[in-house]
Amino acid sequence: MPAIRNQIRELRALREMTQQELADRVGVTRQTVIAIEQDKYSPSLETAFKVASVLGVPIEQCFQYDPRGKR
Amino acid sequence: MMTNLSYREKSLYASLAAELIVYGPYFFLHQQNSVNKVAGMIIGIIVLQIILQSVIAAFTRNRVTDERDRLIELRGYRAGYLTIASLMVLGLGMLWFHAAVGHLRLDNRMVGLHFLSVFFGMLVIADITKTAAQIVAYRRAL
Repeated sequence: MPAIRNQIRELRALREMTQQELADRVGVTRQTVIAIEQDKYSPSLETAFKVASVLGVPIEQCFQYDPRGKR
Repeated sequence: MMTNLSYREKSLYASLAAELIVYGPYFFLHQQNSVNKVAGMIIGIIVLQIILQSVIAAFTRNRVTDERDRLIELRGYRAGYLTIASLMVLGLGMLWFHAAVGHLRLDNRMVGLHFLSVFFGMLVIADITKTAAQIVAYRRAL
């Protein structure tokens, strides 16, 4: 189980936003968005804040830290 | 599948293919060391890389590189550095051993060509390791 989990896919679906649209607005590649959604990559703090800002939610609603999870 | 790869990933696959196409025949098929063959290989890899990277760039609309690409690139350089450092230590150790027991009996010209191939081979292995490490990192979780 990864240490940092996210609800980006669900939040993105609520806003009818594609992965490419989210990637373009955050400034990353679509493959990075895919990797984040699949818990294969934990973004930097700046990117995490950008994602939350684009999705219009607080960062805590986007990303959660689980101390029991491991990297 | 190619549409799911980022620009950087496509570039890496092209680099790996170019390296295997150019370096493979030299190291597995060549009969004799030669400065001209090494020079030809270097020119060949440069030309092939230019062609392949240009084609990929022309057919890729989104050529953005982001933090994940830079992180994976750093991992690749780390793998490449560890590889070449290990090979250098191994090579120097073998050189010392052969010189110490008197097995090193090459004439002057052969020594130069031999070391040319050995050092170039180390560089090639390290470069392939760097590229392969990045390709693996793109497929796995970071």
